[in-house]
Amino acid sequence: MVVLMRYASTFFVIALAFGQDPASKPDRVVNILAERFTYNPSKITVRQGQLVEFVLTSDDTDHGFKIVAAGIDVAIPQQGMGEVRVRFVAEEKGTFPFECSRACGAGHHLMRGTLVVR
Amino acid sequence: MANAPQLVFGVIALFITFPLLGQAPSNIERRVAELEEKMRLIDPAFGKDTAARDLLVRIDQLERKLNGVLAAKEPAPAAAIAAITHLQVPQSAAPRQALSPGGPALQSVSITGDYQTSPDGETRLPVSGYMDFHVNKESGDSFRPDFHRFVLLFGHSFSNRIKFWSELELEHALVEGGERTGEVALEQAYLDFFLKPYFNLRAGMVLTPMGIVNERHEPPSFNGVERPFVETFIIPTTWRELGFGFTGDLGRGFRYRTYLISSLDARRFDAEGGISEGKASGFDASLRNPAKAGRLEFAGVRRLTLGTSFYSGHAGYNTPGINPGVNIFEFDGRYSVRRFDFRGLFANTWVSRAGELNRRVRQQTGVNPNTGSQMRGYYIEPAFHVFARRARNDLIVFTRYERYNTQQDMPAGYVALPQFDRSSWVTGLTFKPNADVAIKFDYNFNRNRSAVVSPLNGTNLGIGWWF
Repeated sequence: MVVLMRYASTFFVIALAFGQDPASKPDRVVNILAERFTYNPSKITVRQGQLVEFVLTSDDTDHGFKIVAAGIDVAIPQQGMGEVRVRFVAEEKGTFPFECSRACGAGHHLMRGTLVVR
Repeated sequence: MANAPQLVFGVIALFITFPLLGQAPSNIERRVAELEEKMRLIDPAFGKDTAARDLLVRIDQLERKLNGVLAAKEPAPAAAIAAITHLQVPQSAAPRQALSPGGPALQSVSITGDYQTSPDGETRLPVSGYMDFHVNKESGDSFRPDFHRFVLLFGHSFSNRIKFWSELELEHALVEGGERTGEVALEQAYLDFFLKPYFNLRAGMVLTPMGIVNERHEPPSFNGVERPFVETFIIPTTWRELGFGFTGDLGRGFRYRTYLISSLDARRFDAEGGISEGKASGFDASLRNPAKAGRLEFAGVRRLTLGTSFYSGHAGYNTPGINPGVNIFEFDGRYSVRRFDFRGLFANTWVSRAGELNRRVRQQTGVNPNTGSQMRGYYIEPAFHVFARRARNDLIVFTRYERYNTQQDMPAGYVALPQFDRSSWVTGLTFKPNADVAIKFDYNFNRNRSAVVSPLNGTNLGIGWWF
């Protein structure tokens, strides 16, 4: 039984990885560069229903990236330490702010942007 | 004896794994290896510390890791699984405002890469800060150590729309009553009310939005141990005042800040420092004639920032009968391409009724400040990154040319002194073993137009860090 359960686990793990349909490939990939105290681009427009992937990198310190509407709050690693990829489905039309959620300097509160879903 | 649910699960598992069992072991091993590769996209460290060759052990590791990943995404595990398998995307939905309750408008799917999540979902705003430790030496003098700045930053989010931010500074390590020592200063303390992306309110102690360094002064963010002379004598830094105003992002890379703030104190203007000593910094300030300050920035092109700022106000609240006007215009830019960085700034200040001001201050204090009616300065700074931009360490070679004159123009009856028409070459290195730690060295070649008064050259060593 234990062996069977292990193979069942294997099946689920494999199914999760190989069972993706084409929709798991993002419809839109946006590269966002964070630096004190801007995101570039700071205004991003996507279409409703799109699977969107943000690839976030930093040109200086660690920054945060928070979209309240998506429940996303991640740290962008500092320069030279990699990137973070955030995927979400833009389910509804609207204007959604995103902001830095990690103290990054004197102008921390200026570090904001807008996601527009049309 | 196994109970019924276990038996049922075992039978189901047998059926669904039957095709797998029918595969050649090498095929299963290959697919497990591919899975491990995929897992390493989520966590680069996965599997690197073990060399398990047993397939079951590797499956165990995958299972444990997958459970960990799912547990970390606890707020929306169903969304994550659904997204990886079959995405159900609604085809129509009515527009609605952001932040309104009633279900997610954006469905979080996955987060991968070199990241850290906030496990409790709170905004992560711990105490942060920066420190600046310098060793300065002027020609003919000895090295003088100075713990120049010890700054702590605090913030709090009352809600997604109301946030507090502050900066508290201790300069020169010691403050002692009645003695000429350092200072404890409130550099910022304000509330932001976020209303619309293009229109937000800010009130409290704010940084005057002027130049590059005043609002962006963390030690790793600029080259040179000390801040540029132009952004010390022509534009005071750190320049903060009490006031309120508006901030916003206009789209297409444009954003602005504009405030009504407490005015400068003209009684503290002088020939050497220009208007820099006139900043009220929130102490004994006046809003009788609030000054207007604003900045428009363009950051719509990657690694390019262009900005222009203005200041306009009257500064005579401590010089009865004389209320000189102060106007400042400034523009600046920063650009990075490949391994090169460039930054530059130009600023011009006009002080009206400067002659009357000089006479009035002389009556009050016995000293003629000899304040100019116009002050001007600019600098340009090219820099080169020795290492690639993606490297963990950074070594920057830079040189900065500065020209600044605090007596660019004088009121009638006053003569400009050539020692205040100054220029400097500042050249040095910035080494960053970490993006938040900067070890700096520079040498300053200082010149002026005087044949009598010669400025001293300087050597500076410094270490600054942000956390």
